[in-house]
Amino acid sequence: MNKALKVLLFGLLAVSLFLVVGCGDDQGDSQSEQGTGDTEDEGEVVEVAGELVVYSSRNENFVQPLLDKFEEETGITVLALHGANPLQLQQEAGNVQADVFISNDMGAMGYLHNQGILEGADIDGIDSIPADFRADDNAYFAISARSRGFIYNKDMITEEEMPKSIEDLFDPKWSEVENGYAITRGGNGGMIGNVSALRFEWGDDKTAEWVSAIRENAAGIYEGHGDIRRAVGAGEHSFGLVNNYYFHQQLLEPSDNNVGFIYVDQEEDQMGVIANAAGAGLVSGAPNQENAIVFLEWLLEPENQVAFVGESLELLINSEYGAQYPEEVEPYIVEFDELKVQDMPIKELGNYFEGTTNLIEDSGLDLDLR
Amino acid sequence: MMDKDNRQKSNQNEKHNAKVGEETSPTLLHFFRRKWYSLWRGNPPGMILLSWGVIVGIIMSIPIIYVVWNSLFAGADRWRRLLDGRIPQLLWDTFSLTFAVTLCALIIGVSLAWIVVRTDVPGRKHWQWLMALPLVIPPYVGAVTYIIVFGPSGWMRDFWRDTPWLVDTFGNYPLNIYSFWGVFFVLTMFTYPYVFLIASASLRKMNRNFEEVARSQGMNTSQIFWKVNLPFLRPAIGAGAILISLYVLSDFGAIAMLRYVTFTAAIYFQQASFDTAAASVLSLVLIILTVGILWIESRTRRKNKYYQTTNSYKVPDTLPLGKWKPFTLLYVIVIFFLSVILPIAVLIYWSIVGIERGAIDERFFGFAWNSLKVSGFAALLCMVLAMPIIYLKSRYPSVISSAIDKLSYAGYALPGVIVALGFVFIFNNHIPWLYNTFYMVALAFVVRFLPQAMQAGEASLSLVSPRIDEAARSLGYPPWKVMIKVIIPTILPGVLAGGALVFVSSIKELPATLMLRPPGFDTLAVRVYYEASEALYHQAAPAALLIVLVSIIPLRYLLKKY
Repeated sequence: MNKALKVLLFGLLAVSLFLVVGCGDDQGDSQSEQGTGDTEDEGEVVEVAGELVVYSSRNENFVQPLLDKFEEETGITVLALHGANPLQLQQEAGNVQADVFISNDMGAMGYLHNQGILEGADIDGIDSIPADFRADDNAYFAISARSRGFIYNKDMITEEEMPKSIEDLFDPKWSEVENGYAITRGGNGGMIGNVSALRFEWGDDKTAEWVSAIRENAAGIYEGHGDIRRAVGAGEHSFGLVNNYYFHQQLLEPSDNNVGFIYVDQEEDQMGVIANAAGAGLVSGAPNQENAIVFLEWLLEPENQVAFVGESLELLINSEYGAQYPEEVEPYIVEFDELKVQDMPIKELGNYFEGTTNLIEDSGLDLDLR
Repeated sequence: MMDKDNRQKSNQNEKHNAKVGEETSPTLLHFFRRKWYSLWRGNPPGMILLSWGVIVGIIMSIPIIYVVWNSLFAGADRWRRLLDGRIPQLLWDTFSLTFAVTLCALIIGVSLAWIVVRTDVPGRKHWQWLMALPLVIPPYVGAVTYIIVFGPSGWMRDFWRDTPWLVDTFGNYPLNIYSFWGVFFVLTMFTYPYVFLIASASLRKMNRNFEEVARSQGMNTSQIFWKVNLPFLRPAIGAGAILISLYVLSDFGAIAMLRYVTFTAAIYFQQASFDTAAASVLSLVLIILTVGILWIESRTRRKNKYYQTTNSYKVPDTLPLGKWKPFTLLYVIVIFFLSVILPIAVLIYWSIVGIERGAIDERFFGFAWNSLKVSGFAALLCMVLAMPIIYLKSRYPSVISSAIDKLSYAGYALPGVIVALGFVFIFNNHIPWLYNTFYMVALAFVVRFLPQAMQAGEASLSLVSPRIDEAARSLGYPPWKVMIKVIIPTILPGVLAGGALVFVSSIKELPATLMLRPPGFDTLAVRVYYEASEALYHQAAPAALLIVLVSIIPLRYLLKKY
């Protein structure tokens, strides 16, 4: 037995040694070779198209199918880093790793652009995106839009009982609804965009008060919105502050799907829903710039704009391209132009990004989990 | 005696040097050479071997030095902000959790060791290794299984909801796994085996004579336990406590999954939003905490000395449990159920669901392959790098070799997030061509786990007589060649065992992998963390189960070691 174990261990290590020496190198080398590296050991016939490094701060389940589709259609190998923070790009400015950045917070995009981390280029097909939803030099553009609001569990609270304005959350009484309500951690991209929009609307002091209020009163503070929709669906909280498409996703669940959604601040004198958008940007000094542009142009094809929305069930900015929604979700889709939307231009978010992250850090919400 | 010998030896050397030196070297050089020889007690290693060792020592300590350096230059303003707003709360959360888990794991570990070693509990032979099994389940995997069972939408909730009398008597489902008590429970369940293993080893060595004397003085069994056995267990308890408290300080996965925030998690979140200055400041506080714990332990241990006489050793007798037998057995079974059966059963269930839904696809093998590649490479590096250090330490003892040895433990004692933080700084700014490659991840594993390879190698090397080296030296080999040609082949099994330990630790490692992985290079551990946080348990379970299976490999070694 003892001898067998030793043989096993030795074999294991010997094998891993061979593997590392034999195939391991391409991983490292491909960083510098950038072209020919990865294709040999696969043994498949792939056009010599090299690779593309994508940093994404969007949910992996939405992005990976899109990247797989791209890989399949173009033969370009995609190396993806999911869950990337926009500031990682800034930190790597002297040693650029990424070619394309995909984000669901236009504030982060705008901030990076202001810092010179994203750069403009001639991209075919960019005209399909309305000017409000792309940078002046086309360094980044948005494809899908979302708005903030409350997902609620219809078994626990009725539409009439729900808060109708983002301002309502100042009131501690909402912590007393059954099982309370849920928000995300302050480090979440959606929350950052939300707070930026409030700063635009209210100024810093009132916004800081609002952040303290929700931090104090929320029953659950989660890492991401997916956790919130599942928790609300399962009755762990009465409602939660999320983006509208999480409501669409929860409708698709086989159970726990008796949920509704409130588009907040829709009255005459109110600010309108806070909107944000998801899209992609070209990284300045990208090691595989040609492939990056291939990717962005590919992404702008109507079919792929639809694929970008994919399982996220967001709203396509170019709704005429006809994103397909499942029948459970279709009746609940509210197009963007039917809503009263806050008058802050989405591009403006970038100028608020840094101040917002500081404000959130001061409040302590960036570290909370509950 | 020894000193005199050494002095004589070095005198001889000095004389010898003086003869050579007088013509060629100036006095200063002569002085240094003499110092150099006395530093090594007249037996300095060759330059190749020494520089190899020094380089390894430096590599091991650079990340930590870098983090400390960074935190000192974070600016008074940031320090003040963190000290006022953040650090007190984090200190309290971290301390209370560490204390509670350590205390409870000690109680469970010592009591189980006592029951299994000293009483006639049924099946004690098997319990001896069964109770150590939770070691193969990384706490973040354990946390996932507990969320699945006891979480707010878990199986237990469903059962509770569907059982009218429970709802009627106790109201709604009362358990909240995402709380201090949830984290506390999970960490305790998956760390107590460290205490159990160490305590049972010392209990087995305990001499019956002492107990017989106590009994003849009229003490009963419980008095003997408190007055005789427990004091003898003191070193074992101390060693176990230190392992567990260091573990709790460094754990990221389980704590983050259960939505608790300690220093380690805070450092991770700060670094994830690339506030490196704040992350460094928090790291420095955590380093101080860790060093503090090590210091307390070494102080208390020095004060007390315990001796076991070996010449009159008698195997301790087995205590009959009598009417307590069913309760004791129940206690053992409950702990075993909670820490092994339940998590493994959940993993198997979701793995089957996952396999049916096609979770084991090409991507899965890609992740497994990445894990294998990076962990195997780290294990290989560790085996190669550990050799010069342990060889220097055992054959050429001196201030320098013990300093190298101590430096190598720096990354081991400290949390993975700190090592990763240092790596991001260094590689991004100074070694860009290695940044974002899997070599960086493997190197981080080396810094984290090298001491495991060193300990295993040292154990083997201590069995090889220095005479063998001397014979090889006398036949004309330089020290580095003696090591490669003579020593390594002799101690290969120990070195390989060390490599296996490093391999398994690397496969389980989560925070450093999360922070350092290059694009397109997810490992199994990263996948478990990600899929579980998305509640895709059928995707997470097969990867987690694979990690658990791999972790069984070094269990035999661990069991033998204690």
